[in-house]
Amino acid sequence: MTASVTPARPRALTFGNVWISLALIAVMAVYPLLFGKSMNFGVSTLIFAGLAMSWNLLGGWAGQTSLGHAALLGIGAYTMTILATPERVPAFLGGPLAPWWGALIGMALAALLALVWGSLTFRLRGSYFTLSTIAVALVIRLVAINSDWTGGSEGLFMPELPRFLGLDLFDRQAEYWLAFAFVILTLIITHAVRRSRLGYALQAVREDEDGARALGIDPTRMKVIAFVISAVLTALGGSLYAIYLQAFEPHTLLELPISVQIALMAIIGGRGSIQGPAIGAILLAVFGEVFRTVFANANLLIYGVLILAVTLYAPDGITGLFTRGGRKLGTAR
Amino acid sequence: MDSAQLTAFTQTLAQGLLTGGLYALIGTGLSLIFGVMKVINFAHGDFLAIGMFITLALFRAFHLDPYLSLLVAAPVGFALGYAIQRFVLARLGDRLSEASMLATLGLGLIISNTLLLTFGAQPQNINVPYAIQTVQLGGVQLSIPLIVAGLGTLASIGGLNYLLYRTELGRAIRATAQNPLGAELQGVKTTNIQAIVFGLGVAFAAIAGVLLMPLLYAFPTVGENYTTKAFIVTVLGGLGNLPGAVVGGLVLGGIESLGAFYISNNYRDAYGLVAFLLVLLLKPEGLFGKTVKRV
Amino acid sequence: MTRTVSRSLLSLAAALSLASSASAQGTLKIGAVTSLSGRFATFGQMQQAGFRVAIEELNAKGGVNGQKLELLLEDDASDTNKALTAAEKLVNQKVPVVIGAYASGITKPLSQYMSRAKVPLIVATAVDETITKPGNAYTFRVNNQSSVYTRSLIDQLRKLAGLKTAVVLTSNDAFGKSVMTDVTKLLPAAGYTLLGKDTYDQGLTDFRPILNRYKAQNPDVVIFASYEQDAVALTKQVKEVGLNPRVMAGIATGFALPDFLKGSADAGENFLVTMVWNQDVRYPGAQNLYTRLKKALGGEEPSQHAAQSYAAMLAAADAVRRAGSADPEKVRAALTTTNLSTAFGPVTFRTYGGYQNQNSVVGLITQVQKGKFVTVFPASASRGKIILRR
Repeated sequence: MTASVTPARPRALTFGNVWISLALIAVMAVYPLLFGKSMNFGVSTLIFAGLAMSWNLLGGWAGQTSLGHAALLGIGAYTMTILATPERVPAFLGGPLAPWWGALIGMALAALLALVWGSLTFRLRGSYFTLSTIAVALVIRLVAINSDWTGGSEGLFMPELPRFLGLDLFDRQAEYWLAFAFVILTLIITHAVRRSRLGYALQAVREDEDGARALGIDPTRMKVIAFVISAVLTALGGSLYAIYLQAFEPHTLLELPISVQIALMAIIGGRGSIQGPAIGAILLAVFGEVFRTVFANANLLIYGVLILAVTLYAPDGITGLFTRGGRKLGTAR
Repeated sequence: MDSAQLTAFTQTLAQGLLTGGLYALIGTGLSLIFGVMKVINFAHGDFLAIGMFITLALFRAFHLDPYLSLLVAAPVGFALGYAIQRFVLARLGDRLSEASMLATLGLGLIISNTLLLTFGAQPQNINVPYAIQTVQLGGVQLSIPLIVAGLGTLASIGGLNYLLYRTELGRAIRATAQNPLGAELQGVKTTNIQAIVFGLGVAFAAIAGVLLMPLLYAFPTVGENYTTKAFIVTVLGGLGNLPGAVVGGLVLGGIESLGAFYISNNYRDAYGLVAFLLVLLLKPEGLFGKTVKRV
Repeated sequence: MTRTVSRSLLSLAAALSLASSASAQGTLKIGAVTSLSGRFATFGQMQQAGFRVAIEELNAKGGVNGQKLELLLEDDASDTNKALTAAEKLVNQKVPVVIGAYASGITKPLSQYMSRAKVPLIVATAVDETITKPGNAYTFRVNNQSSVYTRSLIDQLRKLAGLKTAVVLTSNDAFGKSVMTDVTKLLPAAGYTLLGKDTYDQGLTDFRPILNRYKAQNPDVVIFASYEQDAVALTKQVKEVGLNPRVMAGIATGFALPDFLKGSADAGENFLVTMVWNQDVRYPGAQNLYTRLKKALGGEEPSQHAAQSYAAMLAAADAVRRAGSADPEKVRAALTTTNLSTAFGPVTFRTYGGYQNQNSVVGLITQVQKGKFVTVFPASASRGKIILRR
């Protein structure tokens, strides 16, 4: 493994980060006041912001690029919906489960999958893990399409849901604040990871895996922990997304482009930074919306040009453009 | 097994291997690029689509026989790949392996959407008299374009082999793959070599596109599926292992076809994916252990 | 750079806010969401042509309630989230009704959202059963549900004497699943033994192994329901492997596209193809509609999606006219009593057999004869007779 294969490294850890998080939270909090009529855009953007943040715990902090997160998203969405549907819930549960219990079970299943999947594949380095994520996600997609308990290719409809803490889950305002809470949760966890032993260990592994091992750090274990946290949060996001959509099928939810989209948001935002992925998700959604109206049929073409431009001219993502100065404070390469 | 079943089996296996040959051709290009530059090219299938659309456009404009389009598609693919390496990927410097994924995903979007705007989204094919002609070989019926595709694959891979092991350029490529710094010290212009390699990889994808055109139909996102197939082939053979990629392609074609025939067509893509995961977990260096070069 | 940024911000503000709805007072705006870019773009273009032809026709007759019609067409880029954002924008612009989307996967969440927003949605092309079964009070479908295609074919197969065995291969999407369910249930009841039933995944381009298996089984009837783009390759490979049953049938999708005839050449000869609209169909004005759609498509052959979208637009305008208002709730009520005859066929939204607000469309069976689709069933619409392949 040559030096050039070293994964992305987070930027310097400065106090600026907390302020950026607070500013981001403020922007998300005022959105409904300014664009109260455009809640579809708001809710889906925040869900994907949270998903990109969750992806980054593995993709940025542990330096393992996953292109299979759609599967984890799907586990969250499917588990919650199946358990909440009277006709589909397994008999031994004695009836449909409230969506929050369903979401928790989905998160547990995602954690289990990540645990097994990570333990098996993190022995491999670099690109191999990425390729394995594509394959695992595609196999899960085929299972969802070909099984009866998943609703097969017709997918699922969300049944009526009980109120959550007094909130109507099918009210866009309520959904917005849930998605908002989801992004804040991912921000808090990211901040916490950064300050934890895990955060330092992950940084050490990213910098120099063999060196870290010499220090008594078990790189595989650290990566698996990061993967599990990322998977749990992604499944939670999947449950929210299912509530937002109210109807989904494997051909729209479990496709490779969804995984790629999540990864792109995080990378374009800045996989090394704390808030970069959320900012990337928001900016890409905004650009996507502007492009759709301004460039008509060429909107996806311009999107591709944007990705290429960021790769070439903003190597640390969009947030990296504004933190060039902070670079010197980081560990030297 | 009665004779009808035996014929069906033989026919399935033969067709599977011929289809596998095309996978091999696509995978070889991907593996070559990876072997020299450690870049995973996520736009590989889109380059194949370019080959298909070049064939389509030339046929529409000049009624050019699809196979003659090779004379245009291969050089165009090479030039395109060369330019992309020179003007895009080379600029990524030491971030190459991480940033190349993003860059090639972006390129893929640009290619497929340019094709969409130019040719429209509808599937398009060309009708040549031999497109649905078949030959009988002892009860086994094989289509002519499929056989030509198999021969084209053989010729391309043979040519690449000759280039790599019998020419000065090939030595430079292998030296760059093994030790870029050392090669540079020996006077090899590695930036140029890398661009040539990317050009070759793209040319291979474009050739595969041309060979597929009489068998199939072109639409802007036709490449998506082939990118995944190329990954599988490459991993089965071992990343960067060229002979491995050839065998990987044949193995994939074989297990897909026989799996679809005997087990179930519903899970056809899963056979390759599961084999891919097993190899990844049990023998990450590929089915054949010893590789041209380990990562 | 700064100017580009501020222009982008401006258009974003316009995209997200109500501000842009002030333009073009006095016109009656009908909203539509379809895929003009992305992987469904072909069908989005077909829908667009249908909408435009209908609007032209209505405006030439003086519009509706003294107002000219205006189409507010939003591209969803073949993406669910963008479709929902686009639909919300239309709702904010106070359209009385929205038509769309092309694909079933996008239409289902869209229909859920529209019912939440309490604005009626008219579906013109998406065929998934679950869109109107059970459906909701705000979702109306002009085109048929997928089972119509299958059932009309099986009715026909029941009448053909001497055929005993069949195999079926479908796409693994919602449409294929519906076909598979009906075939599995109804074909044995029609006296057939089902020798094989298989599905295949999107992007698969090599059907040879499964066709080889069918060839060894030698069935009398082979039924396909493919993804749109695969019909031609499937047909060519049937010929390539030497599969030669007495009846070959393709259920709608790619088989019903004009490109099928061109692309498959003589390999598609004598295929039975079920569809709901064909230019030779005996609805008044069908031939004329075909000509106008073809012109709107710049000379490209129109598919049934264009005709369906045309009918959906007529139904939308008709409901607004009868409601006498652009109030979505009144338009919804008016839609439930729709009773139109169009060049696409009759349009009524009824609640029957578990379906809600579903137009009942007669499934046509056509046969490719000398490179043309000839309607062979039902008798009232037919212009030719079925030819068995051997």
